[in-house]
Amino acid sequence: MKKLGAVIAVLVLAALSTIGLASCGGGGSTSGGGGEGQKGGTLDGTYASFPDYLDPALSYTAEGWTAMADVYIPLLTYKHANGVEGSEVVPGLAKEMPKISNGGKTYTLFLRPGLKYSDGSPVKASDFPFAVERMIKLNSGGSSFYLKIVGAEQFAKTKQGPISGIKANDKTGEISIELEGPSGTFTNELGLMFVAPLPQDTPIEDLSGNPPPGTGPYMITKSQPGKGWEYERNPYWAKDNGKAMPEYPEGVVDHAKMTVIRNPETQVDDIERGTYQWMQNPPPASRYAEVKEKFEGTQFRIEPTISTYYFWMNTKEPPFDDVKVRQAVNYAVDAKALERIYAGQITSTQQILPPGMPGYEQFELYPHSMDKAEELMKEANPSDKDITVWTDTESPNNEAGEYFNEILKQLGFNTTLKQINADNYFTVIGNLSTPDLDAGWSDWFQDYPHPNDFFQPLLAGESIQPTNNNNFAQYENPAIDKKMVELAEAQLGPDQESAYAEMDEEVMEDAPWAPYGTRTLSTFVSDEIELESVIFNPTFGHYLTSFEFK
Amino acid sequence: MPTEPSAERGPWSLALRRFLRNRLALAFLGLFLLIIVFVLAAPLWANHVAHTGPNEEHTVEQITVNGEKKDVVSVEGKPIGPQWFGAGGKFFLGADSRLGRDEMVRLMYGGRTSLLIGISAALLATALAIVLGLLAGYFGGWVDSLIARTLDVIWSLPVFLIGLAVGIALAVGGLKLGPLELSSGSLWNPILIISIFTVPYIARPIRGEVLSLSRKEFVEAAIAQGASPGRVMFTEILPNLASTVIVFFTLMIANSMLFEAGLSFLGAGVQPPNSSWGTMITVGVELLRIQPLLAILPGLMIMLTVLSLNIVGDALRDALDPRGKARLDAALQFEAQPAAKPLGEATL
Repeated sequence: MKKLGAVIAVLVLAALSTIGLASCGGGGSTSGGGGEGQKGGTLDGTYASFPDYLDPALSYTAEGWTAMADVYIPLLTYKHANGVEGSEVVPGLAKEMPKISNGGKTYTLFLRPGLKYSDGSPVKASDFPFAVERMIKLNSGGSSFYLKIVGAEQFAKTKQGPISGIKANDKTGEISIELEGPSGTFTNELGLMFVAPLPQDTPIEDLSGNPPPGTGPYMITKSQPGKGWEYERNPYWAKDNGKAMPEYPEGVVDHAKMTVIRNPETQVDDIERGTYQWMQNPPPASRYAEVKEKFEGTQFRIEPTISTYYFWMNTKEPPFDDVKVRQAVNYAVDAKALERIYAGQITSTQQILPPGMPGYEQFELYPHSMDKAEELMKEANPSDKDITVWTDTESPNNEAGEYFNEILKQLGFNTTLKQINADNYFTVIGNLSTPDLDAGWSDWFQDYPHPNDFFQPLLAGESIQPTNNNNFAQYENPAIDKKMVELAEAQLGPDQESAYAEMDEEVMEDAPWAPYGTRTLSTFVSDEIELESVIFNPTFGHYLTSFEFK
Repeated sequence: MPTEPSAERGPWSLALRRFLRNRLALAFLGLFLLIIVFVLAAPLWANHVAHTGPNEEHTVEQITVNGEKKDVVSVEGKPIGPQWFGAGGKFFLGADSRLGRDEMVRLMYGGRTSLLIGISAALLATALAIVLGLLAGYFGGWVDSLIARTLDVIWSLPVFLIGLAVGIALAVGGLKLGPLELSSGSLWNPILIISIFTVPYIARPIRGEVLSLSRKEFVEAAIAQGASPGRVMFTEILPNLASTVIVFFTLMIANSMLFEAGLSFLGAGVQPPNSSWGTMITVGVELLRIQPLLAILPGLMIMLTVLSLNIVGDALRDALDPRGKARLDAALQFEAQPAAKPLGEATL
């Protein structure tokens, strides 16, 4: 039976390959695209807000990564697959996975030959160190991942290169990266878009309005920040890159146009009518049940995520510099209320690590109790009670922010609620010169399936940056920082997972956050789109290459 | 039949008689007073009937309706609908959103905010307009040119769009202008925006009237007797502007309320968690399909208030200056010419 199954599988694959090759006109392959739907066409999609950046070095939101996943390919990337399979790191522009030597401190990769950017210029090995330097010069939120490269820390301080730990040979395509110490996460980090190679004449500035050339099957041809952007096929994909990277899907649609529609109700109506074929964000809470009931299985699919939704408190400034105050807030926040506010699209949790992430072990330090919260507030008796609470305008995050604001009022604070447009929210609260960054709402979706990803960028002292800061709580605990560094050096195994679980609890004892849930997202497409073929990757979200018309 | 000769009555008494003869205006004045009573009664309703404040959240609570327990917000996030008196007046009009706030309480408090902003902005705009109109009309020359051109500049701006941009900026950063400091959530932000951008709508007609009045004999007589410009403006000319000011003030309250509703609907006016009828429409729109009343009720309240103020304003104009009605009508018609009005001024 086993053999028979294998033979059938080979025959089916052979048949599919034939169909695929016949239809793809000589360039690339059709893997991941399904190959059963119509080739070509224009995908009209909608986002509820414009991504934080349309520049691979800067974007640090799910919207931005989804928008650019098939445009900028890093040396390594994530498999074009749903769920756990999509968490696998695979070669991107690199020929194969890195050779790790020197006690885990040296990573050697080779660039695939014959690669070109969408402007026709050749991809060179030295474009990789350029991309790393550009990202650090731009103070990108992703910089902290790469400061472990020898010389990167110094480069970040002086902004003068080169980074001594990266050697690139344009003739052989060899890229050698030397780290300060062994790292258990660096392979994952090489798969992030922050360090996707770019031509070396790319300006060192935010290029969201005019995105730089990329290497993926699509290129962004037009960008109107705040309004939308458009894709065309990369003319060098079929001729060059697709041949060099045959396992990377070439995509089915020829064009794609993304429009920002800020009202998710309108987005749902437009999908139902077929005006648009896909919405990147989930339906609004008010329509979620209805959409699920009507379209699940045909046009709608629930996508579990590895994410944490939380309220942050600025641990550097009163009143939240007092751990008792932060613990009081944790007792006061009722995750059950937030489940209703999110109309069942979150599952309550009170931890840094979300379910599904290695190292997650459930605990409940702060069962909801207003009495306990008030008791702690009495003990702490903070003198400064005037605080500003930040949230974005996107539903239901805005309501979560209002809920948090009301909870803080009940604890005796004089609050001012600031709702910032979702396009700019993280830029505003990530800028430490913004006044009154006391407390607010945030969320975090995994960058890669490693627990370090929920600690180092968000809670490490070294991650506190003047701009593009992601450590909104400005949490800095030397003991935890040390532990984070030690754990990050080792490859992930059962011992490390237990240590991460312990650290999760230790950090929550300090309570820099009041986490309240983990989110489910969704795929919602019009009836013209083949739902089955759409890939929702845990890291990059929906892949543009996976959309096809029926 | 003995009748009192009208010549023996004062102009205000005559105006009152004319106003009282307008039954439609009286009915809508009654309606407006009812709305005032409704919003003033907010604390009474909140404390003694609903037992909750306008911003208090009841997301996970249950209420007893006719002996049956009901979630204020269902697990799927659907807020409870109108309960009328089924729960002793609690959630009379249901919950406002997934935050489970009492819609009736927020409607009453929201009305206070909307009316407060409408009346304050209209008062401020009228006061500024009187001063500017008097100065421009009385002094003429470069003073008039400066004020009139400044008003023209404001007049030519896409008022709503600029109000929106300024409103969003103030909603984020507040305002610090010398000693004047306003927090981002202050109600003074929309009041200031609305009043500044609506000044020309009153100042221009006032300036016209002052230009005409300043050539009258009684003004020339006062100047001949040595009265200072301030005295002439404020004791001789201003009282003669009363009818114009009253009419415009009434209409301006309505316009300011509409302006506020628009700004708040777009997130640039009243800031959450405070409610105004504009912000309540924003919240209600999201739940339009499952709880349409949440958007309809505040919209209806705005419509009734604006309608009653417009009808009362028109009636006051007819009563105070019957001969000027045609002139004012012509002036208003001229100002409402679409070609002369940039985007966003349709409501004004």
